[in-house]
Amino acid sequence: MVAEGRIVWVSGPAVKADGMASAKMYETVTVGEAKLIGEVIRLTGDVAFIQVYESTSGLKPGEPVIGTGNPLSVLLGPGIIGQIYDGIQRPLKELSKVSGSYIGRGIVTTPVDMSKKYHYIPLAKKGDTVGPGAILGTVQETDLIEHSILVPPDHAGGELVEVVSEGDYDLETEIAKIDGQPPLKMYHRWPVRRPRPYKTRYDPTIPLLTGQRVIDTFFPIAKGGTGSIPGAFGTGKTVTLHQIAKWADSQVVIYIGCGERGNEMTEVLVEFPHLKDPRTNKPLMDRTVLVANTSNMPVAAREASIYTGVTIAEYYRDMGKDVVLVADSTSRWAEALREMSGRLEEMPAEEGYPSYLASRLAEFYERAGRVRAEGSPDRDGSVTLVGAVSPSGGDFTEPVTTHTMRFIKTFWALDAKLAYSRHYPSINWMNSYSGYLADIAKWWDSNVSNDWLNVRREAYNVLQREDTLKEIVRLLGPEALPDEEKIILEVARMIKIGILQQNSFDDVDTYCSPEKQYKLLKLLVDFYNHGQKAIKEGTDLVHIRTMAIIGALLKARMEVKDDELAKLDELSVTMQKQFKDLGGRR
Amino acid sequence: MATVGGVEYSKIAEIKGPLVIVDDVENAAFDELVEVETSDNERRLGKVLEVGNGKAIVQVFEGTTGLSISDTSTRFVGKVMEMPVSKEVLGRVFDGLGRPKDNLPDPIADKFLDINGAPMNPEQREYPKDFIQTGVSVIDGMITLVRGQKLPIFSGSGMSHNIVAAQIARQATVIGTQEEFAVVFAAIGVQYSEAEYFRRTLEESGALKRSVLFLNLADDPAIERIITPRVALTVAEYMAFELGMHVLVILTDMTNYAEALREISAAREEVPGRKGYPGYLYTDLSTIYERAGKLVGKTGSVTQVPILSMPSDDITHPIPDLTGYITEGQIVLGRDLFRQGIYPPVNILMSLSRLMKDGIGEGRTREDHGEISNQNYDAYSRAQEVRALAGIVGKAGLTDIDLKYMDTGDIFEKEFLTQDIDENRNLDESLSLLWKTVSSLPRNELTKVKDRYVEKFYQGNDD
Amino acid sequence: MLSTNALEQTISKILSQTEKRVVSTLDETLAESQKQLDDMRSELDAEYDKIISDGKKEADKIEKQIVGSSDLEARNQQLLVVGEAVDNVFNEVLEQIAKAPRDKEYSGLLDTLLREAMSVLRSTDVIVYSNQSERDTVQSVLEKFPDAEMASESIDCLGGIQIKSRDGAMTFDNTLDARISRLKPLIRRDIAAKFGVSG
Repeated sequence: MVAEGRIVWVSGPAVKADGMASAKMYETVTVGEAKLIGEVIRLTGDVAFIQVYESTSGLKPGEPVIGTGNPLSVLLGPGIIGQIYDGIQRPLKELSKVSGSYIGRGIVTTPVDMSKKYHYIPLAKKGDTVGPGAILGTVQETDLIEHSILVPPDHAGGELVEVVSEGDYDLETEIAKIDGQPPLKMYHRWPVRRPRPYKTRYDPTIPLLTGQRVIDTFFPIAKGGTGSIPGAFGTGKTVTLHQIAKWADSQVVIYIGCGERGNEMTEVLVEFPHLKDPRTNKPLMDRTVLVANTSNMPVAAREASIYTGVTIAEYYRDMGKDVVLVADSTSRWAEALREMSGRLEEMPAEEGYPSYLASRLAEFYERAGRVRAEGSPDRDGSVTLVGAVSPSGGDFTEPVTTHTMRFIKTFWALDAKLAYSRHYPSINWMNSYSGYLADIAKWWDSNVSNDWLNVRREAYNVLQREDTLKEIVRLLGPEALPDEEKIILEVARMIKIGILQQNSFDDVDTYCSPEKQYKLLKLLVDFYNHGQKAIKEGTDLVHIRTMAIIGALLKARMEVKDDELAKLDELSVTMQKQFKDLGGRR
Repeated sequence: MATVGGVEYSKIAEIKGPLVIVDDVENAAFDELVEVETSDNERRLGKVLEVGNGKAIVQVFEGTTGLSISDTSTRFVGKVMEMPVSKEVLGRVFDGLGRPKDNLPDPIADKFLDINGAPMNPEQREYPKDFIQTGVSVIDGMITLVRGQKLPIFSGSGMSHNIVAAQIARQATVIGTQEEFAVVFAAIGVQYSEAEYFRRTLEESGALKRSVLFLNLADDPAIERIITPRVALTVAEYMAFELGMHVLVILTDMTNYAEALREISAAREEVPGRKGYPGYLYTDLSTIYERAGKLVGKTGSVTQVPILSMPSDDITHPIPDLTGYITEGQIVLGRDLFRQGIYPPVNILMSLSRLMKDGIGEGRTREDHGEISNQNYDAYSRAQEVRALAGIVGKAGLTDIDLKYMDTGDIFEKEFLTQDIDENRNLDESLSLLWKTVSSLPRNELTKVKDRYVEKFYQGNDD
Repeated sequence: MLSTNALEQTISKILSQTEKRVVSTLDETLAESQKQLDDMRSELDAEYDKIISDGKKEADKIEKQIVGSSDLEARNQQLLVVGEAVDNVFNEVLEQIAKAPRDKEYSGLLDTLLREAMSVLRSTDVIVYSNQSERDTVQSVLEKFPDAEMASESIDCLGGIQIKSRDGAMTFDNTLDARISRLKPLIRRDIAAKFGVSG
């Protein structure tokens, strides 16, 4: 029996209704005469506390609240890719057909076009026994995505007594039948707050390549891993996240704009259809799903948007795909939690955040992983979670940042000072870390070069030593250092300009292949070693500083394309020759 | 919203701060407009913040001074607060709640619009990329403003933010078009002299007839400030999206707005976030700033230049901090530059325009624009480091190249940054000055600019 | 809005009578502001000649300023005239309503106003107020509402009623004055439109 109650109290996104004794926790309800969508988040006696996903302006006590009997769920099936959804999976394009330029209220839509026909190729045959999660067949969702139709994880499975033959079907067509079980269609629903099950979980050992040097080379993340990117405003958080969404070598990208700027979502919508995936040369939009709940959209739907996104990510993972989910920003999600908690009059913990902030963050990041999916045939997929954090005042000791750090393994610390000097991406190389370095070194060994780890270590040493020397320079000036230390400053500067900085708006520099990353780094490490040797042989530093090759080394990231890497080998030859020509000049 | 309203409730349970709590309320809606009548028949406006269990919490915009428990009545109007709009609001002056302040009759409305607006559907936004030439070199060259952007000025008390904003309002044009901007100016708790400066500068440039002014001055009710930016933006949206105009909205000073919000939050005894500001300050500010933009299929645009003074010049204070997370960049004024008498005193290292990248470059401004701007950021930042170092070790401890960077910093500030209040530089002039600045460096130092641009524009002697 | 029709009929009747008069006033003032603008222009010409030697930039600035201000001045004059005209119509309406006969039709209106007010307060157990001259008419209408009671004192209004709950906590004002003032912004637009001035 569905609950039918009446509103007794309204304050912003929070509504109390009585007569709700039969409502369930996290059940979705329609609120008021405008039929706004809400979710039950607390039950006391017959009073339900409801967070409403739409503006409650004009809502009155006495208006009806009606239960739906279902928890907040997403629809999973072909047609999701390329969409832009709000926090509760309503397609924004459909909303605009009803309410124009602005977001209206109480609009009912389906997340995907239910009447669109897809060419379905059955894999499971009549008489096969299939379990939950098994693949029934496939459809081509976009040029890039072959979409597997799965037996829903909460379906008991059994022997297929009927299957349709290959052909064009819409989503409501019953494509397979098991006696005594609900019909199998090309879609199913799944509650967003419940992780989708899998068979086994692996250690992450394959890097997620992003084409960003400071990430891939210095602070890598693994497929199925977790990463966080905290930064004050203006540090280039969004640009970095966009870069990951554009260039990560995953098959599906879920981008959640959670309480952020409207124009940023528009930018993705405008840009992605024109950008080509470097590996397949197809438009990036063909693998991307956007979930947009911008800062001025209702705050409760912001809380839900994270779960909506991660559930879609898990669904594609279950097909055996690598999925990257980017959430910008988890701080705004935490603020939504705080706002609802405040209206519930719960006892606040630090800075007014609810005491369950940490556990909610942990639950979210725990949904990352590389797994063997349920059901036959065997397939492995991954969900990599990258969450932005927007610490107030750029202070990394605030609750959202500190709690997040407990649950993630790669930490890209954005630094306002670097951003102010236009060092982008402004990932601070002293404060960032990656827990995956050892796990993924093997991949670089066998795919790029077996001394990758050494070259990286040497380069990183230069940066570390520069960091200590900087203190001395700050007190005494650079001339106080001997030449063999001055050259460390020099090479560190070259690494910063030639490797760590990357111009995402430059056609060439925006994406850097692993081979190019390695070669560029090797060039600078070689330069350093040659330089040290030359100084030992008595060469005056001023001649090394003014070597003609330096300009070319620093601009190689922009001037040398990924398919012209031989040019880097030529640079190496020229560099060695120029060092030889120095020949101990004093 | 229900059309039947107008019930008057006179059982006042409590008056605290800007809030009136009314008992035995049977028929009221969240967000509903309320008329509060005092014992001497003075009418004030308010709105419902919370309603239920027979109680309504009403926030009174003009404050509760002089209200009494026994002699106050509240009339629930049956609709949210609306602003009457029509083309005839151009050239008019209104108070902070949108009522005429110029001795002219109420505008004859074409429409009545909910002052809270509605969130734009991100799918229906048009990505802003039309370069606005402000004639101010530092903005056009390095912190480019585009139509539909929200770009605040972060300032401190006493600095020249109003002069900068007024100069932008006077000079802003889009290259290749004759379209002039309509200006919506909202004074939020500022002094009369500041508002008057703005009005005069609009008058002198003949822009008053395409301007609308909303004035909540320092001695006007504080809570009214919650409404002022909203009525202003409602008019701006109407002009942009229904009349097809390009509208520049100047909101000054958003710090006063946030303080009014804090006052209400404190009166409601809410759990505060940082520095006593409510936890929802970010969300609340976004409902103002996100009302900038362009829409698919509509000609006009709303560009916002909010001004806020940073308490003790602290950019990590919650108001500039949360603003910066919402706006598309910021123009930061620097106390040091201001003290040195430099105008405009823009600290470019802390300033940023997020939408610059799409508004500039070949076909929009000039092919080398982005790179030469980056090179100047780089050079000026290095110059600042060297200056700091020179302060410790003296010039003698610096290398030759460091000394060159110091010179570059000086040229940057004296020739590029500095300009007159009524000096309107075109884009080419501004870009030439950027090249001039870095041309005092050796060619090899220009690592952020492609070789072909160096060939074309570099003016230094090669060595 | 059950009783709006009656109101609207009255208004449009009066409108047609006053329309002509107001349009002619409007024409007069438009001509006047045009003349003013012309005067301004000659003033501008003199000003312009005087300062042309001071540089074109300054001249442009002042031209803009003067043209801008005089345009605005003319426009504002027009707004004042229209505003006044609309107010005149309004006052006319109020006068007509005050003079209108308190006949059977009017009793019907009172009945509607009462029912509406009671439904808003969600109660028929109320105290009813009217002006002195209509007390008897209201009293007779009240026969149909045994719970309601006529107040001992009267209120100052054109017509219609106001009701209060017994404890005095709730009031609903359904006097003609209140209704007209609620409708005023909408009516103003309609009146202005009849003068050919749109928003």
